Amino acid sequence: MEEQPLPAASTFSLMRNTPAAIHRAQKDLQRKLQEGTILSFTTVHHTPEGFPAGPRNIGLIELEDGQKVSGHLISETDQPIAIGMKVLPKMRLSSVNTQGLRTYDVSYEIPVQQTVKQEFPGYVLALTGPSGVGKTTVSVLLSTKVGKYVERVPILTTREPKEGDADEYVHVSPEEFLALKNEGKLATSTCIPSRDEKRWYGYRTEDIDAIWQKKMIPVIITEMNLLQGLSSHYGRRSILSFGLMPPGKSKRQMLSSLLHRLRDRGRDTEKQIEDRLKNAEADLDFFKTRSELFDDVIVNDNVDTVVGQLGGLVLERVKA
Amino acid sequence: MKSAILGFGISIPSRRITSEEIAHAWKQDPETMKAGLGVTEKSVPDAGEDTFTLAFEAGRQAIELADIKTSQISAVFVGSESHPYAVKPTSGMVAAALECDPFCHCADLEFACKAGTAAMQIVDSMIRSKQISHGLAIGADCAQSKPGDALEYTAAAGAAAFVMGSTDNKNALCQIDQTLSFTTDTPDFWRANGKQHPEHAGRFTGEPAYFHHVREATKGILEVGKIKPEDIDHVVFHMPNAKFPSRIAKELGFTKEQLEHGFIVPTVGNTYSACSPLGLAHVLQQAKKSDRILLVSYGSGAGSDAFLMTMMRDGVALAPDTRETTYINYCEYQKLTAAH
Amino acid sequence: MQSPIYLTGTGQTRFGEHWDMSIKDLMEESIDAAIENAGCTALDIDMVIVANMLGEVASNQAHLGAMAASLLPHHPPALRAEAACASGAVALHTACALLESGKAQTVLVVGVEKMTDIAPSKIAAGLMGAADAEKDAPCGLTFPGIFGLIANRYMHEFNLSRERLNHVSARHHKNGVKNPFAQFRKEIPAEAISMSPKVADPLCMLDCSPISDGAASVVLSTKFESPIKIAASQLATDTLSITDRPTITSFAATKDAMSAALQEANIEREEIAHIELHDCFSIAALISLEDMGFATPGNAIALYEKESPMTINQSGGLKACGHPVAATGIKQVIDVSKQLKNSKSSYGLAHNFGGAAATCGIHILSHA
Repeated sequence: MEEQPLPAASTFSLMRNTPAAIHRAQKDLQRKLQEGTILSFTTVHHTPEGFPAGPRNIGLIELEDGQKVSGHLISETDQPIAIGMKVLPKMRLSSVNTQGLRTYDVSYEIPVQQTVKQEFPGYVLALTGPSGVGKTTVSVLLSTKVGKYVERVPILTTREPKEGDADEYVHVSPEEFLALKNEGKLATSTCIPSRDEKRWYGYRTEDIDAIWQKKMIPVIITEMNLLQGLSSHYGRRSILSFGLMPPGKSKRQMLSSLLHRLRDRGRDTEKQIEDRLKNAEADLDFFKTRSELFDDVIVNDNVDTVVGQLGGLVLERVKA
Repeated sequence: MKSAILGFGISIPSRRITSEEIAHAWKQDPETMKAGLGVTEKSVPDAGEDTFTLAFEAGRQAIELADIKTSQISAVFVGSESHPYAVKPTSGMVAAALECDPFCHCADLEFACKAGTAAMQIVDSMIRSKQISHGLAIGADCAQSKPGDALEYTAAAGAAAFVMGSTDNKNALCQIDQTLSFTTDTPDFWRANGKQHPEHAGRFTGEPAYFHHVREATKGILEVGKIKPEDIDHVVFHMPNAKFPSRIAKELGFTKEQLEHGFIVPTVGNTYSACSPLGLAHVLQQAKKSDRILLVSYGSGAGSDAFLMTMMRDGVALAPDTRETTYINYCEYQKLTAAH
Repeated sequence: MQSPIYLTGTGQTRFGEHWDMSIKDLMEESIDAAIENAGCTALDIDMVIVANMLGEVASNQAHLGAMAASLLPHHPPALRAEAACASGAVALHTACALLESGKAQTVLVVGVEKMTDIAPSKIAAGLMGAADAEKDAPCGLTFPGIFGLIANRYMHEFNLSRERLNHVSARHHKNGVKNPFAQFRKEIPAEAISMSPKVADPLCMLDCSPISDGAASVVLSTKFESPIKIAASQLATDTLSITDRPTITSFAATKDAMSAALQEANIEREEIAHIELHDCFSIAALISLEDMGFATPGNAIALYEKESPMTINQSGGLKACGHPVAATGIKQVIDVSKQLKNSKSSYGLAHNFGGAAATCGIHILSHA
């Protein structure tokens, strides 16, 4: 590791690696010692002062616990780095300051023999929106209208089957779900705590792959976290993402129309409806704050219009 | 009451330089050099690796294999001739990075190539005296050598770590039956304060240094352990090159088969304080229950630590390396080692 | 705005390598130029706000408010504002707040940066102050590296090719040819962009705005009128580190500032005729257009391949003009005002952000 040259007398010294700063960074080292996945990477050709001369591979890495870090990537072989590769944490000497004090940091090593699918996987039609807005109705009618080209993807869940559940859920035990998750068989998953338990929801990659094999477009009913996960997993452009909004000129009107629909549906108790409305507010805000996750946000006033719109889009994509 | 090794770990850089490459750089005959030293390639640390990072990775692996919590470790001793600092202990840095409980005995050791086994002796005695329940002993080095000197062919980098505890432990792998040390003042190899490269005394490093101490320590432990060479299943001697350990083995009545499992120097080089510990780590992966192991290290200056050990269960293979070894040329080697 | 704020004077230095000019010299030249065409005299200035990021790092000089004030005969009250590359917008926003509150009636806002006195590696380290020193800097990232990560992810998510990205810098350079204040005034063909030396893959040298010296000044007043008014001044922030965000291909701060600015100016985005946006790196131009709602995610490149309904970086943007960090936000407003006067259109927008858009400042100008 090259020693830093002494700074020129008149230069403001960048005291990054001071004893106290190094001491404080120790806690971060522990957090960073996790395996992870490469979300993005770059090669910095002109490193900043204090680092060995480039080129230096750096990655944006999602750690096992979901947190993200930026880290030096170690790749011994000529194999090109790719988004999606797994990495292992390794303790490394990062730099030595002018007083000889050493800074250690966690670098991420790419183990050999990884192949990551690079081709465009296919399109997924995702419908997001608050409970009661009509996602299931729309998706069912869609598979009737353009049934040759779309198929609904079952949602895996650990929650108990309820009366009135349509056939969109596949119920599994928490152990089964976590096993699938740990084996990497889920495209994405999320845990939604409810009053008395933690409920997991997710989609199996093999269910989606199977639909693509048939040259059809998977249709997914989803919510905020799962949509984010799908976008990360398959890439944003794979998701034909539509938000469904209830009719109403103001948020209060929208929530009111949801309330009526939920009551009409007759599937939930008043308490459950109250919970759903609270979540609905967050869902509506999500359309605004995460607008980049949506190709369009449609008002579900007339189900046939919406189905017609989506159907047309499906046919367009399928022809392409 | 005896102590036992519960888990072990190794860390060797993935870069190598061949003896051929070094010989070409200095216009020496590669075949002569390889025949003389018996080393075909050695490990080279990359820009971000040093004695601490290697010791840490080896320690991590050892703790995982031992299947204990790091908070159970009450002693960390690291032996090296290339501690990152002259004053600021590697052992403290390793203990903190591994998240051991701060109430932990830590100190760095130096005794040339036997500092790692000295660490093992200290942890062994702390366990036997019931002062601690679990301890971590590490030998680690990024050895320095003067460009153009014969040592350049063998001075390598690596680390081996041992988690030790009581023989009662459910994971007890290998019991330490006996250990002794033989020490003199012998000026065969030294590095003065402030100097980057060590000096050595040529042929004086043979008989009066390596052979004398290894011989005496081995004879001593065989006597104390009341055991004959043919009863030993695996022998690990310190390996400054391939010739010295082969010669002393033959002289003392040990066969090539007994040496085989721990004989890693031809393709790794001499990892100094990690040398015989790494040999032991390789044996521990392949030995069977009840196998007897003899380990004799040697540190210039000079001294030898000898251990008699018994496998309490079959050896455990370490996870295969996830990296590919890459070969570098002499120019890259100089770039990397210039600042270490 | 509660009372109309007029843009009554503008002036800037050329941006580039000014070996003979210090921070003070740069400020002085731009201030003189601004007062020259202002509707008031130097003595009418009640307050000076200096925007600057790297004074301490590059010149061992803090306290730039007082330095600028001392360039005026009556040394009025002064302060310095900093928000990395958004320092200019933040200084303008502060000026608007002082003007709206009546604490001042005429404010001189000066953005200045002196970057060429120290080694590029030191400047790169200093610029990382715009990101998170504990989360982003330790692994050896530079800002080109941060935007290299962003560009790589954007290309992955939206299948944008390297070839198409070339159009961004090529267009900016073409626009800069006619700007006498631009650092670079030569057209560069699109193919040459990706053939320039790599800086932080996939970004090449010609995707990155240069290191430059420069200063830009404006005089804002509630007292001295002019045809150009500040119709909106809005700031927004986001996390410093991209590791703390759910996505890196969209900047929340731009979205927030944009919707607030449109609301303040009470216009639709379609009414905007000219925009100067923050193209610190080519990819930032595309993401910014999408965040401001001028294109859907993944599709902003079309605005560079075809004609766009509004002009984009007609001055040449940061790429061709140069990017003396804190001067940029002021210079953008100057360019929008010139474009409005020229075209007689009603609305123009300056979009300025700092770091990886951890601060975004948007100003909408109206032309009477």
